[in-house]
Amino acid sequence: MASVTLENVSRMYGAITAVDNVNLKIKSGEFVTLLGPSGCGKTTTLRMVAGLEKNTGGRIAIGDNVVSDSEKGYFVPSERRRLGMVFQSYAIWPHMTVFDNVAYPLRIRRRPDKEIQDRVMNALRLVEMEQYAERPSPALSGGQQQRVAIARALVFEPEVLLLDEPLSNLDARLRTQMGDDFRALQQRLKITALYVTHDQAEAMALSDRVVVMHGGRILQVGAPEEIYRRPENRQVAAFFGTPNLLNATVKDCRPNGGQYYKLSVEGQGWSGDCHAATEMPKGADVTVMVRPENLHVRDAGQVNGDLSWSGEVSQAIFRGSHRSIMVKTPAQTLHVEASSLSNVDIGRPVTVAAPVEAAWAVRN
Amino acid sequence: MTIIHNRPLDDIAETAPTIAGNAFTRAFSGGSLWRLIGMLVLILILGFLTIYPLAMLLYGSLHSTPPGMAGEFNLNGYRSIMTTQNLIVLANTIGISLAKTIPSLTIAVFLAWIVARTDTPFRGTLEVLITLPFFIPPILTAMAWGMLANPQVGVINMVWRWLTGGTDPLVNIYSYGGVIWHMCQYSIPFLFLFMVDAFRAMDPSLEESSRMCGASRWTTFRKITLLLMLPVLTSSFMLSFIKGIETFESALFFGLPAGIKVITTDIYESINHRATPDYQYATSLSFAIMGLMFLLVIWQWWMLRGKSFQTVTGKGFRPSVMELGPWRWVTFAFCVLFFFVTVVLPIGQLMLGSFFRFFGFYTYDMLTLEHYRSVFANSEFWRAVRNTMMLGLLGATATMALGAIVAYISVRTRWRGRNLIDSMAWLPWMMPGMVLGVGFLWAFAMLPGPIPIYGTIWALLLAYIALGTPVSVRVMTGAYHQLSYDLEECSRVHGASWFQTMWRIMVALAWPAFAVGWVLTFFGIMRELSASILLYSVGSETLAVVLMKLWANGNAEQVSVIGLMMMLLVIVFRWVQLSFIKARISKL
Repeated sequence: MASVTLENVSRMYGAITAVDNVNLKIKSGEFVTLLGPSGCGKTTTLRMVAGLEKNTGGRIAIGDNVVSDSEKGYFVPSERRRLGMVFQSYAIWPHMTVFDNVAYPLRIRRRPDKEIQDRVMNALRLVEMEQYAERPSPALSGGQQQRVAIARALVFEPEVLLLDEPLSNLDARLRTQMGDDFRALQQRLKITALYVTHDQAEAMALSDRVVVMHGGRILQVGAPEEIYRRPENRQVAAFFGTPNLLNATVKDCRPNGGQYYKLSVEGQGWSGDCHAATEMPKGADVTVMVRPENLHVRDAGQVNGDLSWSGEVSQAIFRGSHRSIMVKTPAQTLHVEASSLSNVDIGRPVTVAAPVEAAWAVRN
Repeated sequence: MTIIHNRPLDDIAETAPTIAGNAFTRAFSGGSLWRLIGMLVLILILGFLTIYPLAMLLYGSLHSTPPGMAGEFNLNGYRSIMTTQNLIVLANTIGISLAKTIPSLTIAVFLAWIVARTDTPFRGTLEVLITLPFFIPPILTAMAWGMLANPQVGVINMVWRWLTGGTDPLVNIYSYGGVIWHMCQYSIPFLFLFMVDAFRAMDPSLEESSRMCGASRWTTFRKITLLLMLPVLTSSFMLSFIKGIETFESALFFGLPAGIKVITTDIYESINHRATPDYQYATSLSFAIMGLMFLLVIWQWWMLRGKSFQTVTGKGFRPSVMELGPWRWVTFAFCVLFFFVTVVLPIGQLMLGSFFRFFGFYTYDMLTLEHYRSVFANSEFWRAVRNTMMLGLLGATATMALGAIVAYISVRTRWRGRNLIDSMAWLPWMMPGMVLGVGFLWAFAMLPGPIPIYGTIWALLLAYIALGTPVSVRVMTGAYHQLSYDLEECSRVHGASWFQTMWRIMVALAWPAFAVGWVLTFFGIMRELSASILLYSVGSETLAVVLMKLWANGNAEQVSVIGLMMMLLVIVFRWVQLSFIKARISKL
């Protein structure tokens, strides 16, 4: 297994910049996900690693080998990069059986028949498809096609496995299951994997590190929890779920003892403490992010958290696993995810509270 | 596989960067000299097949003498076609084409609707039967109908006289009606083939939602179904109209004897039926008609611009089928009647004609096999069979190979020049066979001495390839469009070179379309008359030309024998195509 290095990689289509100066180092055996809305350049980045697109700037290396260097005009075509790839459409060749599909990378490399037989069956066993080997591939369901695509990508032990939204064509239940299976397989085989998705839940569940992209640029790279709880800016914060983003002014800033700073902030009709990554001067405008699931609804006037807002319930929606409650406060309407057992009446005056660890401030 | 030519980061900085791999992969993966040469060769081939005859047409129309003779340049040709008589010819051409397009389109829509959207019994079989006439060479049915509806000795008129006791014929094929009737027999199955999939693939929810909004069945048909079908109907109409202007056989067989002239027969006559062939007149007329076709094609393109031909999303849904109740037997009977009139009657006539000593005298003592014997003993016939088969096999293969390459480059690559070759391949689309024939006549005659194509069988082959290329490109373009890019890219990523991918993925997946196109082209060559009749010479006759000559000599009985055998060949080929290729496609 090899690492992947992207140095100042760019891709222009005429005057349009699809990927803008991306720097990324993927360690051997690491699972990295490129996450972002459609058109953010994540698929283009993946395709440049695959050699299906030429980067117009920067260079790409797989392991110790440079595979593309735009300045030197050096470009290794896809077929010599020793990669495995799972396409969004799976790209299962309809004129071959399951076995032939998986055997393809080996046959292309002129391996002996015996070896092909063994390795294909091993790969199929890995994805629990060995009993379907002789099936014609159009007779497979979506989930089965996906497994075959993974087996085909793994069969010749590629340097790196590339996956382009491989789960997006599956239904919700299957998507979760296939994702978990695939993560287990990746950890067992210690494959370097570069994964593209627009699904945040998928990205967090699968990856060692998540790369959030927007407009062709990398916004933040980090472990899923890091990115979810401590985003570097408002854009990253807004990308995961529907957080409450409140405007506030810094009153005081002091080190927390750990790696963060503790801020005292004041907003419209509320004040309290929260955390931030950097030191901020007094009077600076910040955005405070509080996730709906970390907010609690209490009876009016009851305060024992670090942050609190008073207001009245304007809407309550039962969602099965939880209850979405909208609380109208002088600052703005707050979205709270409460237990589905909690019963709230619309119009009731309440206090909304959050612990200091749940509030994260970023500079505007 | 080859050794991996990746190199360490630092190594690269020192050595001069070169792209790894052998010459071939380099040629077709990155930009390079080889690709340029390949494109140039392709442009040269297409240029010779399309631009060159076109240019020679212009040259010939301005040249006062026949091809290959010294002469001067003048505008006499264009002056001589500006006559009132030619205005009538033009009016005839357009009028006849319109007169056949409108009823053909109506009937074809009705048939397509029956087959695709109703519960008429045996729809699958009916579809095969309805489309069969399209594959029969028009010259065969023309001759059969010449015997069937001959005002004096035609079977239909003989039966009519016997039934009514009168002396007047019921029908006379040598008339405007006859020309139009014969053209309709081809237009209807052609339009049916063109439209039936659009009918079949229409998303029924589009109609159902209209019904749910409170529209009646009839209102839904008018406001939704018909309007959704409008792009396909418009393009069918234009296509049929253009084809009508190009038609040669119907007007040749039924128009000329009655003094009805159209442009294609006028060109033919001025070369073949005048004491001294008037090449300049014929060439000028050809160039003029091509101008007309060009305007028509531009108009067609303008009318259809931006309109989607697809009412389908590609999902497999069952179209809603209308239950007709007892009426389904009426629609069934209509389809059977169509098949009977367009296939059974002509074949029956050919059989009848082939077994009696003289055409028109059908009594027991006239039964004979002598026509079969004389046809089989005729060396000219066997030569024509060999020529036709060879031209068909070679021509269809070459045309499809050219079409497959052009379509691949224009659809799946971003190479420079792909639009140029696509337009060049499309050029013959607006050249009727007759016009292309005249163009090639000049083109071959003007070739320098050491290239003796003129008057050989290669002349026919080149003309057929040029005529077939637009269709073959269209067929292969459709096939490539259906194959997702992922299938190709996936193969590349997993280690296959461009050539390996081509062979193992693209060819393997596109060959059913290739086979379908091949059979279509083969049929096209077998039926081709208008270009062949100008370009053949002794030794390179095709079956159609031999038939034409026999017919001109009044040998209707031997014509029947040959026609019958060609008919048999068509049916066998069609059967093979349907049972073999369709089965393979449905497996994919």
